[in-house]
Amino acid sequence: MNWTTRMRKRATEQLSWDRLLPSEQPVYVNSLVYSFGVFTLSSLVVVIVSGIVMAAKSPVWYQTSAVGEYFRAIHFWSVQAFFFFMTMHLVVQFFMGSWREGRALTWVLGALSFGVGVLTAFTGYLSRGDFFSQWNQVQSKDAFNGAGVNGLFNALDNGQIYGLHIAVLPAVLIALIGWHLVAVRRKGVVPPYPDEGTENAKVGDHS
Amino acid sequence: MKRDYQYPDAKRFPMKDFDMVKEGVVSLGVIAVIVLVVAAIAGAPYRPAVTNQQVAVQSPVLVEQTALGDLDGTGEMASYGPPYNDGTGSIQSIAGFSPQTWWGTPYPLNTAKDDVLTPLTMLATASGNVSLKQALHTYETASGATQAKWSQNLTDALNKAKVVGTTVQLPAGNYGPVSYMMNAELQLARSGLLSGALARETNQGAYRWNVQNNLLFLQGAALHNIAGALNMSGEQWGINHDEQAYPGPWWLTPYTFFYQIPPWNTSDAGDQMAAYTVGLLFLVLIFVPWVPGLNRLPKLLPLHKLIWRDWYRRDKPKSEKGSVAPRHV
Repeated sequence: MNWTTRMRKRATEQLSWDRLLPSEQPVYVNSLVYSFGVFTLSSLVVVIVSGIVMAAKSPVWYQTSAVGEYFRAIHFWSVQAFFFFMTMHLVVQFFMGSWREGRALTWVLGALSFGVGVLTAFTGYLSRGDFFSQWNQVQSKDAFNGAGVNGLFNALDNGQIYGLHIAVLPAVLIALIGWHLVAVRRKGVVPPYPDEGTENAKVGDHS
Repeated sequence: MKRDYQYPDAKRFPMKDFDMVKEGVVSLGVIAVIVLVVAAIAGAPYRPAVTNQQVAVQSPVLVEQTALGDLDGTGEMASYGPPYNDGTGSIQSIAGFSPQTWWGTPYPLNTAKDDVLTPLTMLATASGNVSLKQALHTYETASGATQAKWSQNLTDALNKAKVVGTTVQLPAGNYGPVSYMMNAELQLARSGLLSGALARETNQGAYRWNVQNNLLFLQGAALHNIAGALNMSGEQWGINHDEQAYPGPWWLTPYTFFYQIPPWNTSDAGDQMAAYTVGLLFLVLIFVPWVPGLNRLPKLLPLHKLIWRDWYRRDKPKSEKGSVAPRHV
């Protein structure tokens, strides 16, 4: 089989514009909880843009200049917003049982994004360059050493921490979130649990 | 008409217009404005990092005690173990399982040489200080027993030392060259040059990426005293909170929680246990779709009825009439 033909056929079917960017949604998509995902993404965009400016200017800049401090504040608060909305999204999706009907991969990718997000934020906290960074570097070294990942990661090596924070982990995070989004759009949002005792209960109960 | 390339539920449920692009743009605009305004009003937490110089000025005895512990091998870092050296003091192990030891010593630290002897040798060379050079020679050529005796005497004396001006005054005693060396170390720290001398050791060249030895010199009582006063030590929920009035990394709460309760906060392998416990919980989160019981829990809890209340309300009359919902195409 021609791999190119196969890939094109599959992409055409699974990743059609009707799925990726639909202009219609099922009528049950009618609640604020559906917006937590897009709020999370919006926060991430602000995190990334402010982070790119900070990376372009250097850690000394964001610690010592007035404009740099403002960008550090933007980065700080957008990270807070990112985790707030991501946590709300996660909790709500749990109560919606949103792994049902072939959406397990979507859930797994979302959970992995949360985990990688935590690691990315942690390396960011260690890159602030203030007492908080200093203290948590010496404290977390015992945790990383004790857990046995010391050969992979030296929490006292600012070069490694900064590189992980601005390149490696964001690349993984963006890839995971991108894949998560494609998975969401490919399958569509999860339908409601069937209302027990009705004919409707027979439809869509594959939990 | 439902096209083949629409996602499956488009064929099963009634649809309504939905402008995803508009939702995204409005959301991004609203979040960006809120963040920019909050950042302008509230700023961000920042407390300047602590330097060896500050500690030397504020707690000169502590610097001498730290340097002496590094020199005679009684300091925490001197006997830490992997990944820094061959000690065993901070090796964590759960029933013999200790991956901390698997990597050997990739970030070598010899506290006597790295924290004291090398910086003081550099100081003696830079300042042309013949007395210091002689003191170092005397120390390094003395027997281990003699070195230990001097160190023990000075350890005891430092507990009774007084600070007068910029110097630490000791009671008379037999400290050999060690008291002179420790005073030189203190003055080096006071000058601000000790940090540079330590940081150069872990970088093998002109650049300064790795601040390991500089931070490890401070990592004991020096930083713990400051962090404790700010309620930031591990048993005070440590990393979970930032400077007062600012939210911290609250998403680490499940991890930090274990440091507050036994057996995690009483075990020598507490860090290892906390890491594995959180790792296990994370695996459960990832595999929720396949965990029996947990994957059906949301169906039993009434919250989904609240989230989809409009749908269930809409569906009710049809269901009660026995219609075959919801294939509203």
